Amino acid sequence: MSGRAEVTEKPVRADAPGRGRALARIAAGRRRWIVAAALLAVACSLPFQLVPFRVFQFTMVLVYAVALLGLNLLVGHAGQISLGHGAFFAVGAYGTAIMLDRWDVPHVLTLPAAAATAFALGLALGLPAMRLRGLYLALVTLAIAIFLVPLLKRFESVTGGSMGLTLGKPAPPAWTGLAEDQWLYFLALAVAVAAFLLARGLLHSRVGRALHAVRDNEAAAEVMGVRLSFYKTLAFAWSAMFAGAAGSVYTWVIGFVSPDSFAVTLSITLLAGIVVGGLGSFSGPLLGGLFVMFVPGISQDVNDAAPGVIFGLLIITVMYVAPTGLAGLAGRVARSTKKILRKE
Amino acid sequence: MSGDAFLAVEGLHAGYGDARVLHGVDLTVGRGEICAILGPNGAGKTTLLRALSGMIRVRGDVRLDGTGLARRSPDALARQGVAHVPEGRGTFMPLTVEENLRLGAFVRRGRGAVGADLDRVCAYFPVLRTRLKQVAGSLSGGEQQMLAIGRALMLRPRLLLLDEPSLGLAPLVTEELFRIVRAVNEEERTTVVVVEQNAHLALGVAQQAHVLESGRIVLSGSAERIRADEQVARSYLGYRV
Amino acid sequence: MVGFLQQVVEGLGAGAIYASLALALVLIYQFTGIVNFAQGELAMFSAYIAWQFTAAGLPFWPALVLTLAVSFAGGMLIERVVIRPVEGAPELTVVIVTVGLFIFVNAAAGWIWSFLIKDFPNPFPGGALEAGGLSVGYSTLGVMAVVAVVMGLLYLLFQRTKVGLGMRAVAANPTSARLVGIRVGWTLALGWGLAATVGAVSGVLVAPLLFLEPNMMGGVLIYAFAAATLGGFDSPGGAVVGGLVVGVAETLAGAYVDVIGSDLKVGVPLIIILCILLLRPQGLFGRAAVERA
Repeated sequence: MSGRAEVTEKPVRADAPGRGRALARIAAGRRRWIVAAALLAVACSLPFQLVPFRVFQFTMVLVYAVALLGLNLLVGHAGQISLGHGAFFAVGAYGTAIMLDRWDVPHVLTLPAAAATAFALGLALGLPAMRLRGLYLALVTLAIAIFLVPLLKRFESVTGGSMGLTLGKPAPPAWTGLAEDQWLYFLALAVAVAAFLLARGLLHSRVGRALHAVRDNEAAAEVMGVRLSFYKTLAFAWSAMFAGAAGSVYTWVIGFVSPDSFAVTLSITLLAGIVVGGLGSFSGPLLGGLFVMFVPGISQDVNDAAPGVIFGLLIITVMYVAPTGLAGLAGRVARSTKKILRKE
Repeated sequence: MSGDAFLAVEGLHAGYGDARVLHGVDLTVGRGEICAILGPNGAGKTTLLRALSGMIRVRGDVRLDGTGLARRSPDALARQGVAHVPEGRGTFMPLTVEENLRLGAFVRRGRGAVGADLDRVCAYFPVLRTRLKQVAGSLSGGEQQMLAIGRALMLRPRLLLLDEPSLGLAPLVTEELFRIVRAVNEEERTTVVVVEQNAHLALGVAQQAHVLESGRIVLSGSAERIRADEQVARSYLGYRV
Repeated sequence: MVGFLQQVVEGLGAGAIYASLALALVLIYQFTGIVNFAQGELAMFSAYIAWQFTAAGLPFWPALVLTLAVSFAGGMLIERVVIRPVEGAPELTVVIVTVGLFIFVNAAAGWIWSFLIKDFPNPFPGGALEAGGLSVGYSTLGVMAVVAVVMGLLYLLFQRTKVGLGMRAVAANPTSARLVGIRVGWTLALGWGLAATVGAVSGVLVAPLLFLEPNMMGGVLIYAFAAATLGGFDSPGGAVVGGLVVGVAETLAGAYVDVIGSDLKVGVPLIIILCILLLRPQGLFGRAAVERA
């Protein structure tokens, strides 16, 4: 297929030269922090404004956002496809559930343990899959996602089989004066903020640069001495870790796990979420989380199949018109309005 | 230029993406002539052939026997009788030699005529006849080049475009190839445009020659004149011919 | 021993179905270098179309022929409308588009025909052929016969016709194919159409065995992936052999390995895929260059 041109979209930004550019960058950096702080303030006030059911929904948005952060790392930044992200989410959720159910591990400790388990599993499964192109990773991860449900049902003594496990939720400490839904929301928020900071740190490190090199041009990256399979496997393991952490919080919040919650649909929904939210962007996971949480609920009123129809159409449309998703679209709109304003 | 030009190219611009390679090429080739395109590496010789066979987008005018050809797709041009032996030969590796040859006649109709052409091509390249059932990927470089030219001849082309037939081949094989190209040209009156690094060989078979440099024709003339002009040889070709 | 052979025969019956879906995957991979994740869903959709025809009172075989024709046209249409705009885009983009197609087709089937399971008429008589202690169901024999006929027709198409030669030329060298005058775009569409037709055969054959419902092909797709990986994604013959091997392996593992049993059989293709990737990434019959430049 050598005759075909590779199409890659790169954001084009008109930068002022020299000192102006440096100043602009500092200003942009400061603006980004202000936006982040404002967003956090809004996030903190949400649970005091909304009814418990809405608070629960936003808690789930945060849970999905954490999982999508991991998927974004893999798909958006390393350019590899996973159709089994939900499986690692399930590993985190079930890991936490089993720790709570069997050994009464305190809630706080289940999160790092679940994340570490998912990371290790990602590393182990990534090793064979990553030796080849992303195509095979997609195959293997899809196979894992499909295999997981019967596996969970089989080991009934540990997983509770088809019935699943019911667990206690973390109770809000008395000094906070918070209701349970509010406390869970803040736990999820804390995990989400930590995950965002961690992902940000990762991407600004040497690993992040290597991942971008892998995504943009595998061959060139290899020539430049990037150990492809190593970084691809690492990206896969990191992404699994975020999914595991999200799964752990999921168990805290829902207090119940059952195999059918983690069917292939979950993996595919997550992929849809990150594609529509925006591959490779920082706000992508959050927008994707909102999308995954609210779109099915709204569209299900029309028909049981409506969420799927919408997801499918949106994924295809996004890949045609805006490969950077909602986040990219928002950025583009912002840039062009700025341009129009400046002209006037 | 002359009104009876078979191939007339005027103001041809072409390139890849933002990289412009041809900056307004004008040239004409007479009916039944062999025309050599010479020039240093990177001058745009291969790009010129790709532009003529529709592989890349062009600006400008290309006429074959009066019919406008610019901006048509390669498959449409093949139906117009333009056969292009591309750089790297374009062999269908997993297919047999016979299948490769039959593909050359893909746009033609009539089984009988195609069968007769198979014989005609094998008469030019006897070695191919012994290899008809063999997988093309197993042929030597020289044989693959013969197969590529044979595939192009299966079209009964009105215009044959050859891109560096000598590339990577032993001198003896190359001479043999050029002898056959000359024979085809004489027997079938096929018009040929050949791009070549080896100016000596190309000028030996061509009637006309054009020297291309940095995407422009810098010199045109009869093959004898260009061969005779040592000054030209040194300054434009960079070596004695 | 007879019991073992019995299992092998059953495995071949299942394998024939995997083989036809794997063949559909390989057809598209050969032309475009991409794996169509929606292949199973397209097959499921075809099975629904066949069901709709029979529900309207058509006998099975005419319904099958009509379904194959509709699937062929549908496959071509999808290539022209959905895949065309991303042709030549990075692999990631194309794969995501086929996943989008997967979700869409699955949901569309649920929307049109609901997610409740439907009974699909079995075209083959009940009962079995008894020979030497073995009993081979007529429906197993029928499945194998249909798949064999489809393979034979495909073989004839590719080896004996000009269209087939053109298609093989496009798979081998698209640039050169264009230069000899083949309309490559239409050939790719033709490839999708053929793949959809071959996939439809697997869908229609699976439906009576599994009950018809929108998610019925999810598992089959994984077996087909394993079959194509095993045979080599660029080898149609390999896909067929791979399908049969995977079918037999799955049946034997389910019958003789206690840990696996019938519920964990879907782990077998996963293990096969992982082993092949580690030991022989190009598959048994594939060419060594897995990367397509």
